[in-house]
Amino acid sequence: MDILWIIILLGYAVCVAQSIFALTTKRPVMRRTALATLALALGAHTAWLLLRGVRTGRFPLIGTQEMTAFLAWGLVLSTLIAYRWYHANALKAFIFPIVLVLAAIAAISPDPEGQTREFSNTLQSILLPAHVGLLLLAYSSFFVAFGAGVMYIIQERELRHKRFGTIFYKLPSLDTCDAISSRAMAIGFVLMTLGIVGGLWYSYSRYHVYWQAGPLEIFSVVTWLLYLVIIQSRINAGWGGRAAALASILSFIIVICSLVGVRYLGHAF
Amino acid sequence: MNIVLVGLSHKTAPLAMRERLAFGESQLVDALSRLVDQKTVDEGLIVSTCNRVELIASTPAGAERGLECLADFLRDFHHLTPDALNGHLYKHADTGAIKHLFRVASSLDSMVVGESQILGQVKDAYQQAINAGTIGRVLSQLMHRALSVAKRIRTETGVAQNPVSVSSVSVELARKIFGDLSDKTVLLVGAGEVAELAARSLIEAGTSKLIVTNRTAERAEDIASKFSGGAVNFEAFYDVLPSADIVICSTGAPDYIIRPPETKRALKSRKKGPVLFIDISVPRNIDPGLSALENAFLFDIDDLDSIISTNLRERESEARQAESIIDAEVEHFVEHLRSLDIGPAVVEVKELLSQIVISEFRRNRKRLGVLSPEQEAAIEEVVIPALVNKISHPMIVHIRNAAREGKPTQMMDELRKMIRID
Repeated sequence: MDILWIIILLGYAVCVAQSIFALTTKRPVMRRTALATLALALGAHTAWLLLRGVRTGRFPLIGTQEMTAFLAWGLVLSTLIAYRWYHANALKAFIFPIVLVLAAIAAISPDPEGQTREFSNTLQSILLPAHVGLLLLAYSSFFVAFGAGVMYIIQERELRHKRFGTIFYKLPSLDTCDAISSRAMAIGFVLMTLGIVGGLWYSYSRYHVYWQAGPLEIFSVVTWLLYLVIIQSRINAGWGGRAAALASILSFIIVICSLVGVRYLGHAF
Repeated sequence: MNIVLVGLSHKTAPLAMRERLAFGESQLVDALSRLVDQKTVDEGLIVSTCNRVELIASTPAGAERGLECLADFLRDFHHLTPDALNGHLYKHADTGAIKHLFRVASSLDSMVVGESQILGQVKDAYQQAINAGTIGRVLSQLMHRALSVAKRIRTETGVAQNPVSVSSVSVELARKIFGDLSDKTVLLVGAGEVAELAARSLIEAGTSKLIVTNRTAERAEDIASKFSGGAVNFEAFYDVLPSADIVICSTGAPDYIIRPPETKRALKSRKKGPVLFIDISVPRNIDPGLSALENAFLFDIDDLDSIISTNLRERESEARQAESIIDAEVEHFVEHLRSLDIGPAVVEVKELLSQIVISEFRRNRKRLGVLSPEQEAAIEEVVIPALVNKISHPMIVHIRNAAREGKPTQMMDELRKMIRID
């Protein structure tokens, strides 16, 4: 295994352990160490993506390894942005385990260095990675919304049961969870829209059709509509609280299930 | 040099006596200067709050006389009979005094362990003593350490973490639901004292708006004007319910006045997230069925009480950990104080050594023959001091170590003997 992957995996593993530990103990523990390890791991992660890009002369977004690596990278980035905006330290405990799993999958995936696509022009060579990259970033944003939704449900449960454990004091307020969830969802939706537009454009530029009605395309549009409905009800119907939190959780589960389903039942990407 | 402390607190004296012995703000400067006027007291400080009076001083006259002097001062200042304070005063010297002060500042000796006011009060007392000019080297170091120990205990242990009063629990609940309170509206239904306190805490925590409603309208307007809020008619309070984020209810009504159906409508029409209901009335005024509504969080007085008692237990167990921090810090500070005390000893050793060297130099001056004035000056100003420093250095290290172990005098006696052997 690449030395970079060892650094990345160790770094994220430390972050996972620290964030879960911090959520269940009263005092802040090793916050600085965890932050330093995270910086190191993220640096190595970014370096791996860049190196791969330089070596292959294209965006590192082709094949399982590159895509999972990029998705994990997007997740770390989204979590850090959410942390910067809302200071919700607890969010890390809900997202980093998945980051670690994704990073591990990427680390042990076969490394088809030579994997490439033939493009007939430069536009296509930009559109396809833009399409894939934007969608992956959209999913990481949706995952942050999912994580915040889970935090909302746990915090609400604590409030309803009126027995406050350590986690009650560590989780952010209901409104903060709600705000993270709705903002992450809105950002994810914008990214997803751009990603889909990129995909349609690519399809037209390559095959001269916008729409091929493949399972993946149908699935994308269905997800897009699902999120549109949720966001619309949030904005127009003042929908919030528990229902919105559940919606962000369920919609993400649906996305993941159908993504996996499409992948195994139908075509690959 | 000794540090002495005499005082009384809610643990040793009833309120009437504490009132009697309190030093008012206006008396404090006078009291401080009278305290250090006495020959037995070099530096002094008075902490006076509704729960305690503490006199802390540094004295050159020995611990026993120092303590006596502080107790006499307390009695005389407040014109009390000689045995009026019997059994109510506690007296601590040196390690005991340092420990007591650290515990007080860290709020381990408070009525409610971990409350935050005492630290501010100790800080104020220190500032006032500085202004009065009664703080010197010893007490300034002691106070700095006491304040930093208090801070350390607040951050490293959970003694001050969880709220333990109805008001602070209300604020904590509001924070855990809303996070930022700055755009939140509080609705006060009924105007009980506890409810008013809770409303005050919420306003201090940053809520933007207060609406008050009460059966007697004057009282509602009274409170509303106190917090620059608005008063509404009691019959019409359901109309303002949708705009409220936090509802505090404490009326004398014999039955439920906030019920699920109306509340459900209000929640629906407000198109915003959750609402916090706090019912501190007995009998209850909010139908417990409310907690089944989505986005309604209801806490009655029993819920608050059980949260408070859990948190108190939590604080007590955290306090045990704090005590061990205190012990370590006291030991550390005592060592530090002792090493401060060696200043005069260091001077003495150097003095003795340089006397010997200079006298030997003068005695043998002739043997050195003709020296230019520059050479002569160099010997007296450079060579001899350097020689003395070199020779005395290991001795000083030795004294410092002995001082840390608490036996500087013994070591000095031995050194004197050694140096004087000639």
